[in-house]
Amino acid sequence: MKKALILLGCPESPSQTPLAVYVTYKLTQMGFDVTLASTPSAMKLLEVSDPDGHYIKNKIDIESCLDTLNQGDYQLLIGFAHKDAAVSYFVTFYYILNTKSIALVFHRDAEMLDAFQETIKDNTDAEIVAARAYHNPTPIRVRLDRALKQLEED
Amino acid sequence: MFCLDTYLRESEDYVIHLNRAGFKDCAKFIEKEAKSVVYIPAGAKIVGARIIGVPPVPIGIDEERGTIMLPYTKPCYGTAVVEIPVPKEEIDQVKSLKIK
Repeated sequence: MKKALILLGCPESPSQTPLAVYVTYKLTQMGFDVTLASTPSAMKLLEVSDPDGHYIKNKIDIESCLDTLNQGDYQLLIGFAHKDAAVSYFVTFYYILNTKSIALVFHRDAEMLDAFQETIKDNTDAEIVAARAYHNPTPIRVRLDRALKQLEED
Repeated sequence: MFCLDTYLRESEDYVIHLNRAGFKDCAKFIEKEAKSVVYIPAGAKIVGARIIGVPPVPIGIDEERGTIMLPYTKPCYGTAVVEIPVPKEEIDQVKSLKIK
């Protein structure tokens, strides 16, 4: 079974938790064994959102994950890149895993959104799914659905 | 073995030059202020930690004082530039990872 890692950033953005549950659901349907790497606070939000673990089966602390991560551990990386630190984490995980990667880039400020996209585009071959979004996860979800459909067809 | 996270928790012998900044600003600071700079890959392990950043990641070295200056990123706090004293072998380890 192919393994996917979903990399979460700071849970400050309200769209991250619902999108994380959604991505997990979609990837599981596509046959991936999904693990979510997050900070303890982002993990608490996931646990409250999915109390019986219907969607989220595997979770790992982001620092423990980073410490033990090796190339080949996962065949797909999907990372939330909605803050400067999240972009740095995504790029770092991308280089360690060296595998198919999708960056979910969103921010309410257009300049920040452009800057994050530019950094990822200039430094990785990751697919970028981007939208100006903050509270409403729909714009990024719609673009993500397209990217996942493309992934299934490849 | 030296461990950065434990060191920062338990020692007061370090300097935070920049705090809650963006990675680019931290990289520029290190390039401008460090006595010498070595560039390493993103995710490379030095001082017992994987270094987060956009490659090539600059690490400042001051051989005379026995310190290194590095970007230190946490998901909710952005990136800081921290300067810490390290054993000589840690400086040698940084140099061995040089990509630029």
